[in-house]
Amino acid sequence: MSQDRTTLAALSEQLADAVATAGAALVAVHARPRLPSTGVHWKDGVIVTTEGTVRREDDIEVTLPDGKRIPATFAGRDRGTDLAVLKIAAGSLPVAQLGDPSTLRPGHLVLALARLDEGGPRAAFGAVSATGGKWRCWKGGEIDSWLLSDLDIYPGFGGGPLVDATGRIHGVNSGGLSRALATTIPVATVSRVTTQLLERGYVARGWIGAAMQPVRLDPATQKRLKHEGGLLLLSVEPDAPASRAGLLVGDMVAAIDGKNVDGFDQLLDVLGGDVVGKTLKLDVVRAGQPVSVDVVIGERPRRGGGR
Amino acid sequence: MTATSPAFLSEPAERLRASVVGIANGRRGRGSGGAGIAWSGDLFVTSAHVATGSHPTIVTPDSRAVPGEVVYRDAERDIAVVRAAGAGVPAVVTADPRALRSGSLVFAVGHPFGVRDAVSVGVLQAVSPLPRGYGLNGKGSLVWIQADVRLLPGNSGGPLADAGGRVIGVAAMIVSGVALAVPVPDVERLLSELT
Repeated sequence: MSQDRTTLAALSEQLADAVATAGAALVAVHARPRLPSTGVHWKDGVIVTTEGTVRREDDIEVTLPDGKRIPATFAGRDRGTDLAVLKIAAGSLPVAQLGDPSTLRPGHLVLALARLDEGGPRAAFGAVSATGGKWRCWKGGEIDSWLLSDLDIYPGFGGGPLVDATGRIHGVNSGGLSRALATTIPVATVSRVTTQLLERGYVARGWIGAAMQPVRLDPATQKRLKHEGGLLLLSVEPDAPASRAGLLVGDMVAAIDGKNVDGFDQLLDVLGGDVVGKTLKLDVVRAGQPVSVDVVIGERPRRGGGR
Repeated sequence: MTATSPAFLSEPAERLRASVVGIANGRRGRGSGGAGIAWSGDLFVTSAHVATGSHPTIVTPDSRAVPGEVVYRDAERDIAVVRAAGAGVPAVVTADPRALRSGSLVFAVGHPFGVRDAVSVGVLQAVSPLPRGYGLNGKGSLVWIQADVRLLPGNSGGPLADAGGRVIGVAAMIVSGVALAVPVPDVERLLSELT
């Protein structure tokens, strides 16, 4: 029994150590009225938080672990992955110690952390609920892995890290993406998006400039062309990658890079990630005849200045 | 590190549950109520919003109904002290929550929706005034234990304890989803005014 008591006290101490370790790299972000959100010092001089909590792009301040408030400048935001990046003076606080989210399994003990004021870091406690591969979230962004937990994302905890029992940071918790369970944007996605936001202030997304609809070919044509169906071009925008490549309304895309098209997601997949400038090899059925078309992926035009 | 036993918090929880009572308004021990803590001798600490009458009934862990009398009430700090002679409930051990760090294990014992002596587990968030933006009608400037632990109606007046089962606060309410408890030093200060 006393053995239980000792190990329990040790667990409690270990959790508090993890909070202290990871908490040293957290700031409170003052970029909205009333309640601040949490930011992670991802690399020196770079703060990551959730896009939804950054309501203004000027007069942003952050509270450091020692309670000091310093100015931060807005570097960019990506609605698709719910991430925003701010810049602060280098050397202001320790840099986050990043973990490898692929080592987390359902049942692993995790903490959600926050910094809301000049007091210490705040913690919520729970377990990893589900993990998995790449997915596209409802805001449209591509998230490198699926990481859900039963943590409570309290007000102000958005933008804060998911932390394991040793204090390693495995990603950024998004209140905006969370539904029944808390959703964490994993390290790989945060690092990829942060790099792009620092380079150009937004995330470039692949685009070919054509509207399409899934269709099936008639049985005779299926047999003749060895394709069951594909994506039928309904419209092609002028001066867009599709029109420059010579694609025409009425063309049917039967295969992309040698893989038969079986749905729309396949096109979204090849347009996701860092793909602008890459060439897609399309097998097209035009007026019943197979033709091959190469399309150079362009950058999706941004509406409203990329906000 | 030695692996945590599957028994987890059961031993400190069992000890603490022996010191948690029910508080019922009305002499027959019925009606709505909450939890109370056997503090010392004949004195029980609970929330002011739980002990609403002047003569609540203490329901002991072995289900005896003992008549009590409110001898102190602070509505602002939401603490009431009830004297119930002869209740014979063992007193709790207390500890200062300010000695704990954020992330430390804590647990609550109470009677959520009438379930007797239910245990819920979580971690400490802070011992401080509430963050700006967490509204509490001006009472946010008081020092509260803030914890990530599930409190429900019926937990009020019951203990929040550390991993060793030492009581660190009196469960009071939920604000913005966060569990709030009155820190032990505040309770001790109120009790010292009693003598």
